[in-house]
Amino acid sequence: MIALLPWLVAVWLFGIGLYGIVTSRNFVHLIGCLSVVQASTYVLLLAVGYRGGAGAPIFYTHPPGTPAVDPVVQALVLTDIVIGAAVTALLLALALQLHKRRGTLDPDELRPLHR
Amino acid sequence: MMHLLPPLPVAGPLAVAALLLATSRLLPARVPDTVALLTVLLATAACVAMAVGTAATPLTYWFGGWTPRDGLVLGVGFVVDQPGAALAAFIGLLFAATLVFAWGYYDEVHAHFHVLMLLFLAGMIGFCLTHDLFNLFVWFELISVAAFALTGYQLRQSALEAALNFTVVNTLGSYLMLAGIGLLYARIGALDFTGLGRGVAAHPGDVVVAAAFTLLASGLLIKGAQVPFHFWLADAHAVAPSPVSVVFSGAMVALGVFGVGRLTWTVFADSLPVHAVVHALLLGLGCASAVVGGLMALAQRHLKRLLAFSTISHTGILLAGLALLRQDATAGMLAYLVGHGLVKAALFMLAGILLALCGAIDEITLRGQGRALWPVGIAFGAGGLLLAGLPFGILQHGLGLIDAAAHAEGRGWVGPVLTVGTALTGAAVLRAGGRIFLNLGPDPGFESRAPTEADREKADRPLWLMLAPPAVMLLAAVVSGGPAAGFAMRAAGQAMQPDSAHILGGPSLPPTPFPAEPPGTGLAWISVAVAIALAGLLLMRHRLPRRALALNDRVSDAVVGSMARLHTGRIGDYVTWMVFGLALFVVSFVLT
Repeated sequence: MIALLPWLVAVWLFGIGLYGIVTSRNFVHLIGCLSVVQASTYVLLLAVGYRGGAGAPIFYTHPPGTPAVDPVVQALVLTDIVIGAAVTALLLALALQLHKRRGTLDPDELRPLHR
Repeated sequence: MMHLLPPLPVAGPLAVAALLLATSRLLPARVPDTVALLTVLLATAACVAMAVGTAATPLTYWFGGWTPRDGLVLGVGFVVDQPGAALAAFIGLLFAATLVFAWGYYDEVHAHFHVLMLLFLAGMIGFCLTHDLFNLFVWFELISVAAFALTGYQLRQSALEAALNFTVVNTLGSYLMLAGIGLLYARIGALDFTGLGRGVAAHPGDVVVAAAFTLLASGLLIKGAQVPFHFWLADAHAVAPSPVSVVFSGAMVALGVFGVGRLTWTVFADSLPVHAVVHALLLGLGCASAVVGGLMALAQRHLKRLLAFSTISHTGILLAGLALLRQDATAGMLAYLVGHGLVKAALFMLAGILLALCGAIDEITLRGQGRALWPVGIAFGAGGLLLAGLPFGILQHGLGLIDAAAHAEGRGWVGPVLTVGTALTGAAVLRAGGRIFLNLGPDPGFESRAPTEADREKADRPLWLMLAPPAVMLLAAVVSGGPAAGFAMRAAGQAMQPDSAHILGGPSLPPTPFPAEPPGTGLAWISVAVAIALAGLLLMRHRLPRRALALNDRVSDAVVGSMARLHTGRIGDYVTWMVFGLALFVVSFVLT
């Protein structure tokens, strides 16, 4: 059961993030929900690389061969964080510009092109 | 010498982009244009050399010298095969044509456009050449981020709204992909395609493998704009600057479908459940996209939005060709990809010319205003007829191959359904052309209720400079039929049976023989005739008797209007449809 927990947390975060995006009434809130979806990928990847009782994958003081968690997924998470930061910054900048021009951030009032 | 080539077409544009950005405020006006164009041409030349040099065996390059030890892959590699290199070369040519078209268009922005375009190109070439799943994801992200910035950086109001929708939906796609990669790594413990392929072969019916395919394919189909993941595309294309729309439609969208193919041929080559789902669900989604895209294109008045929906329709044809999982169908898909890229890029450039010279992009506003620009009109009509399926050139060869393969698979209905898509998009383009260049159609029908916007682009470029690239591309699409199809056939063979013996070893899909006769043209002529008739009916509706007009309006509202109402422009709806698409994958894995 404990072994299953991180996977359930990942699915839960993914689900509530999507629910938040679908029902959001404010773009800043929506961007936050996107980050929640992204957090689910962090949890998933870290769960993939976890080894019970193992330490960090740094062998400076430990001899090679000491049990360690998988460093590959940690590299993936790091890349993911960098990408997430770039995209969130870009989205917030777009939202800021939009607020300047339209005075609202409600997705229901903001739609591309005149309808 | 050859073995050092693979990283260059990626590293070169990345390095030049950094240099341009650092020096952009010091450089005189035309220098960024020239430097960017030269860089793109050099990268293209490297890709062409690799496409020629990899006819027999693929070219392998391990970054940092991390070669495999005892059959275990440690590093990240590029494995350049003929389809990947040829596609990269085609994308390079498309970028070169776009930069010529956009010459001097972006004076005021200090080379930012060129920097982003070079990053965009590097991402696409890396996507075509890589042999590592996580590396594929990184290139996918580079493509996405460059595309987000290119859509929104003019900071016009509609562009901001569409860029937000585009970014949120595509970022969700990236996260789906990343989750899929994590699941595959959890099950198999490898990230290179060959190792993953072996691992999948060891667990062919595994639930985790099925879930990983669902997530990876959904992420890529969001980029490929396939029903029901397609909603973002029309908004983004409509508001992006014309040169950017050219690259979006000509290359980026098709790469999403190519990515699904790459994973199906390598990583999931030995998973029968995945093949069954590709065969059933992706074929269905491709056909649905072809028809939905066609109907929606017909319902538009914003010219770039119209072309964007037609891109969805034609990308659906690519997906259907891929989903047949036969060598001849894959060859058809590759040929159609290039042909569609050429024609659609040309049409977006022609729309850009109208936007620059007539100061509008709305079909109904533009009525009759194109008459002075008759060379543009001729090219526009030719592009419309080619989209409708005119049986000359590479598009017809591609669709013919897909149709023949579908018949051989006992799915003869695929060809006619895809033809509905080509006829509808052809009719949409021809209707717009007739209205703009021939002053027809004073009484607009359902298209007058479509979303639109007043727009302007810089007008000080000479007509010949803007018209030369689309004219050359349309000509290339017409003359390059037979040889291109033969080349696509060989490339498809290599793509579907990755000769991985020189990396780690492993067999794959059985080959299928080349069809003995060239594809038939019957269906193509029917498609062209339907497109012309439909465009004529829509332009001449003011001549219809009153009763026929009422009937026409009721039918078109039932068919087109209900579908148009689903495209709300609201981001929550788009994400709901995405979840529906994921559910479709789950259902089809359960059923097959």
